[in-house]
Amino acid sequence: MFRNFRNWCFSALTIVLASGSFTTYAQGDALFKSKCASCHQPHKNSTGPKLFQVRQKWTDGGAKEGSIYQWVNNWQTAAASDPYAQTVSTWSPAAMSAFPDLKKEDIDAILDWVDSQPDPAAAGAGDAGATGDAAAPTDAAGTTEETSNGWIWLILGVIFVTIILAVGGVRRQLKFAAADEAGEPLNEGMTYAEELKAWAWKYRLYVGLASLVVVISVVVTLFLGLYSIGVVENYQPSQPIAFPHAIHTGTNGIDCKYCHSSVTKSKTAGIPSVNVCMNCHKQINGRTPAQQEQIAKIYEAAGWNPEGAGSYTGKTKPIVWNKVHVLPDHVYFNHSQHVVVGGVDCKQCHGDMTKQVETQKVWPVEELNKIEGNIQLTKPTMTMGWCIECHAEKEISTGGIDTKNDGYYNEIHKRLLNNDKKLYEKYLEDGKVSVAELGGWECAKCHY
Amino acid sequence: MGMTRKYWKGLEELRETPEFLNSKDQEFPTQMSVDEFLGDENLKETSTARRDFLKFLGFSVAAATVAACEAPVTKAIPYVNKPENVIPGMPTWYASTYYDGVSYASILVKTREGRPIYIKGNKDFGFTAGGTNAQIIASVLGLYDAARLQDPTIDGQAKTWSKLDEGVNAGLKSAKKVVLVSNTVISPSLGMAIGELAASLGAVENPAKFEHIQYDAVSYAGMRLANKDSFGVELIPDYDFSKAKTIVSVGADFLNSWLLPTQFATQYGTRRNPSGEWMSKHFQFESMMSVTGSNADYRGMIKPSEQAAVLSYLLKGFGVSTGVASNLSKEVKAIADEAIKSLKASKADSIVVSDSNNKGVQLLVNKLNNVLGAYSSTLNLNNPINLFKSEDAKMNKFVADVIAGKGPDAVVFLGVNPVYTLANGKKFGEALAKIKTTVSFASHADETASNCKYVAPDHHALEGWNDYNAKASEYAVAQPTIRPLFNTASALESILVWGGKATRAGKDSKVAYDYIRKTWETYGFPSQTKYADFHTYWSMAVHNSCVEMTPMAPLAPLTFKDSAYTNLPKASGLEVVLYQKAGIGIGMQANNPWLQELPDPMTKVTWDNYITMNPSEMETAGYATTYDQEHGLNLAKVKVGSAELTLPVYPLPGQAPGTVGIALGYGRGANGENIGKAAFQTKEYGGTATTEDGKPAPIGANAFQFVQNDNGTLSLNASGSISKVDGTYPIAATQIHHTVMGRYSIVRETTLDIFKKGDKEAFNPAHTLQKMDAEGNHVEAPMSEFDLWDAHPVENIGHRWGMTVDLSSCIGCGACLIACQSENNVPVVGKDEIRRGREMHWLRIDRYFASDEEVVPGTKKDEFNYTKAEKASINPRVVHMPMMCHHCNHAPCETVCPVAATTHSNEGLNQMAYNRCIGTRYCANNCPYKVRRFNWFNYPSYKKFTEVNPAQDDLGRMVLNPDVTVRTRGVMEKCSFCVQRIQAGKLDAKKEGRPVVDGDFVSACADACPTNAIIVGDWNDLKSMVRSSSEDTRAYQALEEVGVKPNVWYKVKVRNEKNDVLADVQVSEEHHEAGKHADKKNH
Repeated sequence: MFRNFRNWCFSALTIVLASGSFTTYAQGDALFKSKCASCHQPHKNSTGPKLFQVRQKWTDGGAKEGSIYQWVNNWQTAAASDPYAQTVSTWSPAAMSAFPDLKKEDIDAILDWVDSQPDPAAAGAGDAGATGDAAAPTDAAGTTEETSNGWIWLILGVIFVTIILAVGGVRRQLKFAAADEAGEPLNEGMTYAEELKAWAWKYRLYVGLASLVVVISVVVTLFLGLYSIGVVENYQPSQPIAFPHAIHTGTNGIDCKYCHSSVTKSKTAGIPSVNVCMNCHKQINGRTPAQQEQIAKIYEAAGWNPEGAGSYTGKTKPIVWNKVHVLPDHVYFNHSQHVVVGGVDCKQCHGDMTKQVETQKVWPVEELNKIEGNIQLTKPTMTMGWCIECHAEKEISTGGIDTKNDGYYNEIHKRLLNNDKKLYEKYLEDGKVSVAELGGWECAKCHY
Repeated sequence: MGMTRKYWKGLEELRETPEFLNSKDQEFPTQMSVDEFLGDENLKETSTARRDFLKFLGFSVAAATVAACEAPVTKAIPYVNKPENVIPGMPTWYASTYYDGVSYASILVKTREGRPIYIKGNKDFGFTAGGTNAQIIASVLGLYDAARLQDPTIDGQAKTWSKLDEGVNAGLKSAKKVVLVSNTVISPSLGMAIGELAASLGAVENPAKFEHIQYDAVSYAGMRLANKDSFGVELIPDYDFSKAKTIVSVGADFLNSWLLPTQFATQYGTRRNPSGEWMSKHFQFESMMSVTGSNADYRGMIKPSEQAAVLSYLLKGFGVSTGVASNLSKEVKAIADEAIKSLKASKADSIVVSDSNNKGVQLLVNKLNNVLGAYSSTLNLNNPINLFKSEDAKMNKFVADVIAGKGPDAVVFLGVNPVYTLANGKKFGEALAKIKTTVSFASHADETASNCKYVAPDHHALEGWNDYNAKASEYAVAQPTIRPLFNTASALESILVWGGKATRAGKDSKVAYDYIRKTWETYGFPSQTKYADFHTYWSMAVHNSCVEMTPMAPLAPLTFKDSAYTNLPKASGLEVVLYQKAGIGIGMQANNPWLQELPDPMTKVTWDNYITMNPSEMETAGYATTYDQEHGLNLAKVKVGSAELTLPVYPLPGQAPGTVGIALGYGRGANGENIGKAAFQTKEYGGTATTEDGKPAPIGANAFQFVQNDNGTLSLNASGSISKVDGTYPIAATQIHHTVMGRYSIVRETTLDIFKKGDKEAFNPAHTLQKMDAEGNHVEAPMSEFDLWDAHPVENIGHRWGMTVDLSSCIGCGACLIACQSENNVPVVGKDEIRRGREMHWLRIDRYFASDEEVVPGTKKDEFNYTKAEKASINPRVVHMPMMCHHCNHAPCETVCPVAATTHSNEGLNQMAYNRCIGTRYCANNCPYKVRRFNWFNYPSYKKFTEVNPAQDDLGRMVLNPDVTVRTRGVMEKCSFCVQRIQAGKLDAKKEGRPVVDGDFVSACADACPTNAIIVGDWNDLKSMVRSSSEDTRAYQALEEVGVKPNVWYKVKVRNEKNDVLADVQVSEEHHEAGKHADKKNH
């Protein structure tokens, strides 16, 4: 009991200590990202020099005690008072911003964090997740589609069938041998088929039951299989770039509309053009080799040469993405209608992108339903049933009833109220006018 | 009893031929195809055993299942650098200008993801005020023509531009004389560039070194020469038809082809509304029943040689003696007397025009206009039209020189195809081989270009920069709407390069742009004061596509001078009139399947030209006057001088006796030139048909060989003879099918006088039926009281999309039909399918001939006989009636669909869900308007349509509207009221948080209509135009008595004529009597 208590205390203490150090670690991480990351990287020179063990470097270089903190607060005062800082200031013509609000502890936290970062070049591609960041995408995401285990099963199946046949043959030979030994007449005339028949007849009850089970399951499978035709839930095609939504919209909190800018204007949300990627990625070229490899693909597409200060070569190459949400030709869907007019949140149909670490997929309806604020639906995602189910549920602007300044729906409500009050009341029985009640279930809303 | 007029769609109906009676009951005639299918010899050789068939069937099912399970991977390729003004999924509109040497209009081009897909008129800027025509709208398809030259060629071999420039430069520099033959150059920049080229060739020192001849296939030189005599300046004045209270046209088809129809039709349309301030009165004296003639209030039939007599008679009415004979037939004289009366009333507010290219006739026109004082009102000499500056005499001499082998050593052809358009073009083409350097800018290896050593293909009109000065008061810009598809170069650039003023700059060359911009900076910018810097000025010009200018007034006011009327046209024997069809024109777009399949406004014939003749004359001469899918028309040979051509003879009521009409623009590619697959006849199951000598068989025959040299000007009127030839020729017309089944409540017509009295019951009575009241008496009750169905809740709530079509302003030009085809991806089906009655047009324009039968409209007397109407059909009145899905609120098609593929929306639309449709065709059977179309084939892939359907090649597919499904085999389709535009319009309003207003939704047909005859909008919006239009006294619904409650209203056609018979008939009480009569018959 006592031992247990001691153990418990010990582990509790460990946790407290660990979480304490984790706090500074997390603080350093956050500060680095918010203040330094646009110009500095731990292991690589970019706009500013690499920061790995930079305190040691300054000390080795003969810098005055504390000069580095002064430098961060305002590099010009440091350069004026310390010859080493003076030499550092010649590293690049670009002047570093002043950070007078960073305290010594803050700077230490940042540099501690930086020093704790493994050098990706040395560490290799394996530990992409070791940065403490949300897991970076790996090549695996890009190749899951192509690699399939099917062929393994096929080979195994062939091997098993061969073994069964071989064993069966051996057994037959043994039986013949035994019969020969016993002097019984050889029944060699019986083929496999006849033997099987005889066997089946002998156990006809069991065979019959088993057959029934097999037939029923085949029929059920077929039936379910037919139902699944056209259901694209979990469809996750491979992509030329293993794009992690989680980092962009989750970790970095970029608004969906920043990249999918036509979502409020057009029927398509729009896959961002490469120049939009380059707005950020001109600076951010990835911390891990895995990330760098992916981001290099953007550079290739944009014709960007990241060497030195970077320059555009003019040789561009569009990125060929594989479409995830594919609607058949005879369906017209307009994003702006849903996002601007209907006020539908992206996550209603596309899922919680802040958690989508791998490339995008068609989220199954069960997962969509788990997201807070989503209208609960039952039909598989991207089927017509799913669309019209939502149209039946979703309330459209109540127009004149509420105070929203919506001239279009005000007018529609007014016409209903003035000209067919009975119908209007019928619509309002459930307390709302749904999309379907104003024609959202009509063929020519989406098919023309 | 009184009334007068009965409407019939063709002589077949008029005479009730057995074939007609048989076919009218069958909207989808199928026996023919079955017979042919079984009669196919190849079929006998193939044998498919039952077991094989089952195997195929089984395999197909399995294959289809497997194919259906696999979702193909769809690619999405975003821009690398997205242009700022392109939003994927949203159209980008560009203002531009269209000019092809014949048609001119300010246009708006709709592009989607960088592809131009639709053209419409620019209603905001440009003097054409939104007017376009079928050819301009269809020109977008020509951009994606795979037969266009994709590289410059030397001797027919593709070469690089540097090679071509080298050759041409050497050829031009070494030549003793260079001749540039172009169509009328209205581009200031191009004109200057030609000047630069001439200068670089030494023309400044030695003017004989370079000659520029402007040559138009259809010449207006006679007009310019006449104006030179009358006013001292070779010009064509501007005409304002919106000011003309009386219009007298002597042969000029000014709504369709004469001079500047894009402007004239729009202006004309503004004055055809009988409720307006005043309505114009239109007199037409012509030989061939033209689009313009069919809209006239009075139409007199004359031979072309009688044009001078008509004008002289009119002048005599004003006491002017011309010395020209004025003998006219009794009928024409009566109309001419009416015209004189009307001209005397309207005086200066009149227009007299003539299509004659004879100087004498045009001098008579000038005289009459001057007597009227029209030069002070409707005609503007100070704002001349710069189109059609054909120098016929110079061209004639040049052609003669070339044929005689005395030609220059270098010829450059720009925008012309003289080998095709010259009467002696064939000889001219052969003689071109004798010239050392021949250069063409043609986009195809056409008749002329294939005879040229060098071809420097020009950009398509939508690919390059250009500027135009079509009228003195306006300078216009044409801007590219797509990066050049092929390795072509702007003609302007080529001329600058050869003139040593520029160097080639490849596909993204800015040479033409820079040059035009410079021109505008040097000349346009300083001439105005509104814009302080050139950049703003230029941006405005490009944005609007044009800038207005105050035309420079002549130094001395132009005064009229009398001249002698000499060399007036004389004729003997049969007079041949060459005319331009609405779709084909002079044949520049002969390879455009949309235009080939556009039914001619008058004859409704597609894919052919023919000889038009009055049916009464045809009967005398023993020609068949009826035809159908199995029975073709007789062939005849027309001879003019030594030229002759054999064509079928088409019975066209209204054709002046003693004359025949033949359309220009056909017979392209007679020597097998590669001008595009659709320009040639196709075989029944696909593939290009060939002539006996193995060349692709052209469509129709080239009537340009009949063009006459009339005292130095090129005349489209000729004298000749006609003789019957053995054999018949199958005709594909869209209007021997789809009969109105004797329900004549479709078309309503009245005169302005009756309309002005305001008695709606007289000219537009509501349809009533008898019913039993409570006491058991028969009483008349309006249609609204009879209904099989419960009311559909579309009236008054939400939207209700409606349309009104004003039969008074509709001129039947066909622009709406092509706009619909372009907007809605309507497939082209080819001649053979049209013959089977399987055309796919969502919108058709029914043309009804009228005659003065003693019948009340909408009734059939018991003893009624179609043949009695025969006599009046010699010169009938015509009504054009656009017919599309009526979106009936009680649609009969919806109730019979077994799978609910066609349903009603709560916005009044009759929706068509293609994916549900299983193709029973019950709906089409049940449609009273016969507007549903069935997809018999997979038009985008079946081999039969490879030649005609643009959607069959990768390039042609680019013209498809991505917002509209391409329908597949086995489904019904029909006019959707451009539901994609309705949705887009509503979305705009929703996003802006405002109610839908007029203009948010405009259907393609309404968009294209030059006369604004079609109005669409939200009928439930009490302020909307469509609501007030549908509540007009003229509004009625076609076939109201069937009670389908359509959302389309027509407005009674009003003719500004004196019609005593009609005045007797259209009296309220009598109408009630007549109405009863009709009901008994029809129900």
